[in-house]
Amino acid sequence: MDALTTIMGSAMRQTAPLAFASCGEYTAERSGTLNISIEGMMLGGAFFGVVGTAVTDTVVGGLVLGSFVGLLVAVVHANFSHRLSANTFVVGLSLNALMLGLTSFLLESTDFSSRRAGVLEIPLLKEIPVLGEALFSNRWPFYLLVVVIPLTRFLVDRTRWGLEVRSVGEDPQAADVTGIDVNKRRRQSLYYCGLMSGLGGAYLSVAEVGLFNQNMVAGGGFLVNAAVIFGAWRLGGTLAGCLLFGTAASVQLALPALGHTITPQLLIALPYVLALATMVAFARRGRQPAALAQPFERGIA
Amino acid sequence: MSAITARIFNAGTARVVALYAASFAVAIFLSGLLVQVTGGSPLDVIRALYEGSLGSPQDIGLTIDESVPVLIVALGVIITSRAGIVNIGPEGQLLIGGLCGAAVSLRLAVPGVAMVPATLLAAAAGGAAWAGIAALLRYWRNVDVVISTLLLNFLAIQLVSFAVNRPYLLQEKLTGGGTASPTSDPIPSDARLPLLGQTGTMTFTSGTIIAVVALVVVGLMVTRSRWGFKLRMLGLNAEAARRAGVRAAALGTGALLLSGAFAGLAGGVVLSDRAFRIQTGFSNNMGFNGLLVALIARRNPWATVPVAILFGILRAGGGFVATTGVPRYVVDVMQALIVLAALFPPLVDKVNERRRAMRIARDEAAATAASSATPTLEVAR
Amino acid sequence: MFGPVSLMPDIAVEPTPAGAAPAIEMRGITKRFGAVAACDEVELCVEPGEIHGLLGQNGAGKSTLMKVLLGLMTPDSGHIRLHGEPVVISDPIDAAKHGMAMVHQHFSLVEALTVWENVALGDVGRLDPKATAQLVRDVGERYGLAVDPHARVRDLTTGERQRVELIKCLRRDPSILILDEPTSVLTRAESQELFAVLRTVVKDESRAVVLISHKLDEILHATDEVTIMRGGRVVRRARTADTTAESLATDMVGRTIDLGLDAVAALGFAAETVEELADEEHDDHAADRTILRVEDLHAVNEVGTPLLRGLSLTVRAGEILGLAGVEGNGQSALTAVLSDLLVPTTGSVHVGDEAVATGKAGAMVAAGIGVIPEDRHRTGCILDLSVAENLAFLDLEQVSGRLFLDRNEMRRRAEALVEEYEVSLPSLDAPMRMLSGGNQQKVVLARELTRNPRVLVAEQPTHGLDVGAVQFMNSRLRAAAEAGIGVLLISTELEELIALSDRIAVIHGGRIMGEMPAHQVDVEKLGLMMGGRAA
Repeated sequence: MDALTTIMGSAMRQTAPLAFASCGEYTAERSGTLNISIEGMMLGGAFFGVVGTAVTDTVVGGLVLGSFVGLLVAVVHANFSHRLSANTFVVGLSLNALMLGLTSFLLESTDFSSRRAGVLEIPLLKEIPVLGEALFSNRWPFYLLVVVIPLTRFLVDRTRWGLEVRSVGEDPQAADVTGIDVNKRRRQSLYYCGLMSGLGGAYLSVAEVGLFNQNMVAGGGFLVNAAVIFGAWRLGGTLAGCLLFGTAASVQLALPALGHTITPQLLIALPYVLALATMVAFARRGRQPAALAQPFERGIA
Repeated sequence: MSAITARIFNAGTARVVALYAASFAVAIFLSGLLVQVTGGSPLDVIRALYEGSLGSPQDIGLTIDESVPVLIVALGVIITSRAGIVNIGPEGQLLIGGLCGAAVSLRLAVPGVAMVPATLLAAAAGGAAWAGIAALLRYWRNVDVVISTLLLNFLAIQLVSFAVNRPYLLQEKLTGGGTASPTSDPIPSDARLPLLGQTGTMTFTSGTIIAVVALVVVGLMVTRSRWGFKLRMLGLNAEAARRAGVRAAALGTGALLLSGAFAGLAGGVVLSDRAFRIQTGFSNNMGFNGLLVALIARRNPWATVPVAILFGILRAGGGFVATTGVPRYVVDVMQALIVLAALFPPLVDKVNERRRAMRIARDEAAATAASSATPTLEVAR
Repeated sequence: MFGPVSLMPDIAVEPTPAGAAPAIEMRGITKRFGAVAACDEVELCVEPGEIHGLLGQNGAGKSTLMKVLLGLMTPDSGHIRLHGEPVVISDPIDAAKHGMAMVHQHFSLVEALTVWENVALGDVGRLDPKATAQLVRDVGERYGLAVDPHARVRDLTTGERQRVELIKCLRRDPSILILDEPTSVLTRAESQELFAVLRTVVKDESRAVVLISHKLDEILHATDEVTIMRGGRVVRRARTADTTAESLATDMVGRTIDLGLDAVAALGFAAETVEELADEEHDDHAADRTILRVEDLHAVNEVGTPLLRGLSLTVRAGEILGLAGVEGNGQSALTAVLSDLLVPTTGSVHVGDEAVATGKAGAMVAAGIGVIPEDRHRTGCILDLSVAENLAFLDLEQVSGRLFLDRNEMRRRAEALVEEYEVSLPSLDAPMRMLSGGNQQKVVLARELTRNPRVLVAEQPTHGLDVGAVQFMNSRLRAAAEAGIGVLLISTELEELIALSDRIAVIHGGRIMGEMPAHQVDVEKLGLMMGGRAA
């Protein structure tokens, strides 16, 4: 196996959890929520993914419980932010701290041993040079992306729900006049974000690593925020962002082994720099949802 | 003054206090429950928290030391949030502040007496510059401050990591061989803040003095000065402010720079008071904690003090909790729950306020419809 | 030339084609707010297959009547029949079920979405892009409303956006279509296109259209029949063909505007003020001491729709210039320019002999222009600041030292002003939010006047105030003029303007149509100019 194949494979593994969560965050941001609690959702998903796997003795159980815990975090966040109109950043930061504290606490005070999802190799396709190994020889939950990505696209772009979600992120006042419950759509989008981020976290622990480490998401949640910005609020661009960030991470991991001494800090910083650069390039053109991060309260004026 | 007392002791006060008490009780109860179900003793944890933070003069000193940077950061955030700007980047600004402070104290030949001021000034300037990037992007390219300050946090970590991994930059120089760690050399003793005094085991650090001065200055400036008034006008009603001659870009940039400067200063204080070295874990959530303190204090600079002390207690006592056999992370859980609990009472107020506003709006709509019909009826005979 | 016009509805001219029940039949609709009737025994009868104009000034009761029809308000008495069936309409959704659709004055489109997505928004059921796009094309073709279903609304012109609004309504196949001032933002060509569409809608499909408008040309050209409302009552109903612009104007404005003392008193002046007024010689101000000169102002909104189209006017020191006009003709834009909130594309503003830099924060205030804005919550005051702070925020240097505010001075000043302007409030430290509308307005007035401005712009200053507050405001404005301030009074209420002003200018479509001395108002001419006809 040559270096390139190794890096490609590793890049895929680094990308997958981000990709799951970014499908959720993409949806939430389209509805107008700049959700910074993905980190907490993913951590919850990762830890309880292990718990679910241990308890049910199946990987599926872990993925389901992980997603569910991500959803729980989202329920708290959504109801604080889009029902009680609490400052979404205070809520998001607190939830991150809460989940980091809670998972670290539970890791030390409980004992769950997980199992790891098996590798599923797709015959023939796996033989494709360079890419085959990376794409078609993965832990089986990896292939859930094949469902989740089109599902997200379908939900946001093709359903009435998605249309309403987008209208709520762009012009909540007009949406309200048209008879759409703005905050309800925003809550629902966050729930979807929670499910997906929890799944991403559970994928990380149950499928890739096989156990939970303290703070194992390590800023990945914020990378997802950066990916959505990098992708200029398009699903394709967002996923491309995840892939780029995942690749940067895998290159950084692989470089020492390959004997290179490229600056790892630059590689890690790359996602954030790129996201900022995209903002600088596109901010004037208004690519971001017009009502992003603006709480909605029905006109009192 | 009677007006202020009246505002504090109005009819709703008891209700507000009760609400806060109930919210915090729920937060603490939930944390206790967590400890209980994992086989620990909640009472032991509370006792340890108390012992570790307030139990002895020494611990009180530690609590104050933990509160100081959080308070300084919060004061800076108060400035931006009063101007209606969401700066969620104090963590990065604090790191860059520490980095700049370390760079100046380690690399510049500043005469001894000027060393401490130079270090602190460099830290403040570094934090300001880091926040200045967000201001520049905002007023030049209309980039959302929330997004830029969020992203700049992560760039700051990498910048520090870069610097402390390069021997030609700030990485430590080992005299006796071995592998250099990704951390800087300790700053020279000239650059360290003097210990002010010691009573028994309790030490007073000059960082405390800096925090108190910052509190008084920021508190007076934002609540009493003409500048502070303009900040508030900008934050509450940009259009009315504009008519009154407030230039949003200039004032907003100034607010962001100052906010960053305070975060940077907090980094400088941590550096020259306690940490003495810069490394990636240097900021240790102090920036985010300061941000939360400011947001809980709801733009009131004086209210940051009790909240910052509460955070200081949890930060200081947290280290002590481990002695009970319960993982110290329970403190992080408790802290997060307390923050969420602190959100509740204002929200109850807000909901009431909204109901009242709706009622007034409805009455006025009816009155408008009525009065606009009046003159025509009377005159056109 | 014109016969006397009765205030009673002219029911005699009501034509009902044999066999067909009227599409809308509103009988004896009364809606009271307190002692005042916004709608008083109003009758409206709209036949299928006709465009029915509803003409009237602001506050004539048009919108109340439509709110009743759409189920947004419950009438105190009266009943409604649709196509002969008695109905009770509970809310807009119910109204839609009865086949009514309304195009609102302000667009409700989401700019970032495409045309077909906007058309689909608010529906229920499965989203079908192809079918919806086809629907947009079909409806567009049928009515000549060509618009690309896949275009983004943000890229469309105002006229095209109006088409989308219409398609949104028409696709629901309403039997009754209500348009609220649909042409207020359209160009001439765009309005003509709109009327061609409406013609098709009624002629070929026998729908009923209600066109709410204040534009005489529009009513004359586009409608078959017209109901004219004034002061909550129907003053006339006629076949449009039997009317002229002049008669419509007179009916809309009211032909007998009496400027006797009674009328002034009715507007709420105290007796002594009235006497002062009566003594006063209006030509005192004739000496040309121009204090405010606005020249050739052009301004556009964010999407490029013109708000001001070459507006010029002058106000002399010591006079009240009344600016008449129907809402939405550039009044707010003018106020915004004079408040530094809107940067004009061209044009100049002079106070005295000095040019004021337009669009520079604080420049207008520094030049001595005081403003009582229409929407005091948005720009007139800061709701979360205290009353004392609101009274001081334009004069911070007067209540502060080099660095710090002098709270005591601020309070002293506020106490004096509160007393002088009779503001009733719980406490000087109470947030502005806690005050009633009338008291908020007094605070704004006090703040602006205490600065001794050279010019005072008052936009709808008595809007939403009770009688006592109206009286107070009007006497203060008059006193301000007497003190030598040039007052620009912007109002949609003619009686108020005539009672207070020295001269009256008329604004329409972002420019001044003409002016006349207030003591020799030609009502017909005024009505024509307000309706967009040069007189």
